[in-house]
Amino acid sequence: MHLLLMIGLVVFSIVSVLIHDLLKAAISLAAASIFLALIFFRMNAVYAGVFEVSVVAGLITVLFITAIALTRSDENVNESKYHLFIFPLFFAGLVIIDVLVMKNLLGRIPAISSPETGSFGDVLWKGRSFDLIGQIGVIFAGVLAVLALFRPKGKSAQGDKHE
Amino acid sequence: MIFLFIIIPLVLASLMPLLGKISKRFLPDLLANATMLFLLVFSVIYAKPLIAKGGIIQQAFWFGTPLNIRLLVDGFSLFMLFTISLVSLAVTLYSIDYMEHYGAKANYYALLLLMIAGMNGLVLATDLFNIYMFLEVAAVASYALVAFGLGHDELEASFKYLMLSAVASAFILLAITIIFALTGGVGFGAVAAGLKMLNIKYVVGFCSALFLMGFGLKAAIVPFHSWLPDAHPSAPAPISAMLSGVLIKVSGVYAMMRIFMNVFGLTPALTSVLSVLGIVSIFVGALAALGQNDIKRMLAYSSISQIGYVVLGFAIGTPLGILGGLFHLFNHALFKSLLFLNAGAVEQSTGTRSLDKMGGLAKRMPLTAATSAVASLSIAGIPPLNGFWSKLLIIIALVQAKMPVLAVLAVLGSVVTLWYYLVLQRNAFFGRLNETWKAVKEAPFWMSVSTVMLALLCIITGLLFPLIIRSWLQPATDVLSGGVGVALNFLGF
Amino acid sequence: MNNFWILNMGAAALLIGIGIYCLLTMKNLVKLLIGIEIIAKGITLALVASGFAKNNLMLAQSLVISVIVVDVAVIATALAIIISINRHTKSLDVRKLTKLKG
Repeated sequence: MHLLLMIGLVVFSIVSVLIHDLLKAAISLAAASIFLALIFFRMNAVYAGVFEVSVVAGLITVLFITAIALTRSDENVNESKYHLFIFPLFFAGLVIIDVLVMKNLLGRIPAISSPETGSFGDVLWKGRSFDLIGQIGVIFAGVLAVLALFRPKGKSAQGDKHE
Repeated sequence: MIFLFIIIPLVLASLMPLLGKISKRFLPDLLANATMLFLLVFSVIYAKPLIAKGGIIQQAFWFGTPLNIRLLVDGFSLFMLFTISLVSLAVTLYSIDYMEHYGAKANYYALLLLMIAGMNGLVLATDLFNIYMFLEVAAVASYALVAFGLGHDELEASFKYLMLSAVASAFILLAITIIFALTGGVGFGAVAAGLKMLNIKYVVGFCSALFLMGFGLKAAIVPFHSWLPDAHPSAPAPISAMLSGVLIKVSGVYAMMRIFMNVFGLTPALTSVLSVLGIVSIFVGALAALGQNDIKRMLAYSSISQIGYVVLGFAIGTPLGILGGLFHLFNHALFKSLLFLNAGAVEQSTGTRSLDKMGGLAKRMPLTAATSAVASLSIAGIPPLNGFWSKLLIIIALVQAKMPVLAVLAVLGSVVTLWYYLVLQRNAFFGRLNETWKAVKEAPFWMSVSTVMLALLCIITGLLFPLIIRSWLQPATDVLSGGVGVALNFLGF
Repeated sequence: MNNFWILNMGAAALLIGIGIYCLLTMKNLVKLLIGIEIIAKGITLALVASGFAKNNLMLAQSLVISVIVVDVAVIATALAIIISINRHTKSLDVRKLTKLKG
C-alpha cells in the first residue's frame, strides 16, 4: 500500500515536470501533494499531513493558478522535444544510483533512538518557539515583498539604465 | 535582553506599513534610524559585559514571562551583531535621502528591518534549524529589496538570485535533514555529541559538502558566485551595501564557520578545500574586476575577491588565521559598504554607472571623492588604514602555517586589488572634468553623513587596531578556536 | 537503519533528482518554480521519514511545518517577481532574461 502511494507521488511529480500546459502541471503538482499527505498520514504524522494538504495542495496551487492566469505569453515557450528521450534515461540512471547508494551506504548507519517526547503542542509551542518567531518573520517578509512588487508606480521607477 | 535585537526590528517592520500611511517620510525615517542607533549602542554597552566570562545562553523574556527561547551570546555572535548594527545604521542614514525617488519608503524600511531581524536571529541561534529559518527570513526580504526598483534589470537579477538562493537553501535543509536522521536532534550541542559518538566519516563528509555548496553560494565563493555580479549592481545602492557588507557574511561565512568549527570540527579535508576555494575566489574576483566598466559590477567582483581572503583566513585554522579572517570580515563590511554608498551617490548625481563616461568628479563632489579614496586605499591594503592590518595578519598566518605559496598568491591578489581600485579612482574622480558633469551637485546631507562616518571608522580602526583586536576580535577568535568543545558545553538545547 | 526508512529516503532522493532535472532543463519560468516545489516535497518526505525512524515524530513535524511556511513565502515572492517580469517582457521564457552578462 505504501509502495503504491510512493509510486503515485513520483509519477505525478514527473507528469508535472514534463507536461507542457502550465495549468495541468499545477494540478498535477496538487495531486502529488495529496499523495504525499496520504504518506504522512500513514506514518502517523497527522499534523504534517494536514498542513501539507491545506497549504501545499491548497494555497500554493491557488497561487500558481493565479500567477498563470495573470501572465500571458505571446508565444508558447518552446521546450525541446528531446525531453521525451532524455528524461527516461536520466530517471533510470537516477533510480539505479539511488538503489545502490541506499543499500550500501545507509544500511550501515546505526540507529540511535531518541528519548520520548511530549505532545505535539508542547514540542511546537515550547520546544520550537524560536522557529515560530522565524515563521512570523518570513510571512511578513513574503507579504511585504508582494506589496512592494505590486505597488503602483508613481514617478518613473529607477532601472532600465544600461550603458 | 539580547532578544531585543530580534524583536525590535520585527515589531517595527510590522508597524511600518501603518506608519507609512500616517506620515510618508518623516516618521519611518526617524524610527528606523533611532532603532539602528539604539541597537548599536545597546550592543556595546549592554551586551559586551555579558560575555566577559565566556559565552552564555540567555533566556528570552516577554514582559516578565519566560519564553522557551534560548539565545546564544558569545564572542562570535556579539562581534557579528556589532558589525550588523554598524553597517545598518550607516545604510538607514543613507536611505533617508537616497530612497526619495524610489517611493514607498515605509515598505522599504519594513523590508530592510526584516532583513536585519533575520540576520540578528541567525547570529543568535543555538540550533541548526533556527539558522535555516532566519536565513530564509533575511533571504526573502533581500529578494524583494533587490527587485525594489521594478525595472527590467532589477527583476531579472532578482529572479536569478532567487532561483540560485532557493537551491542553496534546499541543499542546506537537506544536510540538516541528514544530520537529524543521524543524531535525532538539531541543536548544536546534541548534534556535536551525537556525531562524536557515531563516527561515520562518509555521511558527515557528504553533509559537509552540502553545507559547503549551500553556504558557499550564500557567501558568493567561487564557483557559486554567479548571482552576485548581477544582483548587487541592480539593487538600490543602500541595499547593495547591505548585501555586500553584511548579508553575504552573515548568511554565508558566519553560518558556515559556526557549523564547521563548533559543531563538526575542522578536518584537514575541509581545511584544504576551503583554502583552495579561498585562493581561487581571490583571483577570479580580482581578475574579473579589472575588466569591468560598470562601477558597481566592479565592486561586486571585488566583494567575491575579498570574501576569498576571509575564507582563506578561516581555513588556515590557527588562531592567528582566524583572527585575520574575522578582522578582514569587519573591515570589508566597513569599506565595501562605503564604496557601494559612494557609487550610489555618483549614480544619483550623474545618472550613469559607466566608468568610461565619468571623469574628474572630484572637483564637483569633493566629499564623495575623499571618502571613496579612503575606502579604496583601505581595501587595497595601504598602511596605516585598516585593510593593511587584516591582510597582513592573514599573510603572516599563512607563512606561520607553512603555506608560503598561498602567502605569495595572497600578496599578488592584493597587488591586483590595488591596481583596479586605482583605475576606479582615476576614471571616476580624478583626471579632467568631463564637460557633461559641469553642473552636478555634491551628495545630499544624510548620504554624506553616512559616508563620512564610515570613512572615519576605517581610519580609526586602522590607527587603533590593537584596541579593536583586544576588545572585539579576541573573544570571537577564542570561541572559534575552541572547536567542538564550545558546542558540547551547550548540551541539552 | 531499517528498510522502511531506506525506502522513503530513496523516494526522497528521487524527488530531489526530478526537481533538479526540472531546474536544469526547463525554460518556462513557472516550471522552474514547480521544480523548486518538488525539491521541497522531497526534503519534507525525508524529514518525516527520519522522524518516524527515530521515533521523534513531533520534532520532525514541527520542522516540516516551518519548512512548508518558508516554502509558501518564497513561492509567493517568486510568483510576484514572475508576474512583474511578464509585464516587461510579455513572455514566460527564461531565455528572454539574458540582458545582464559579463
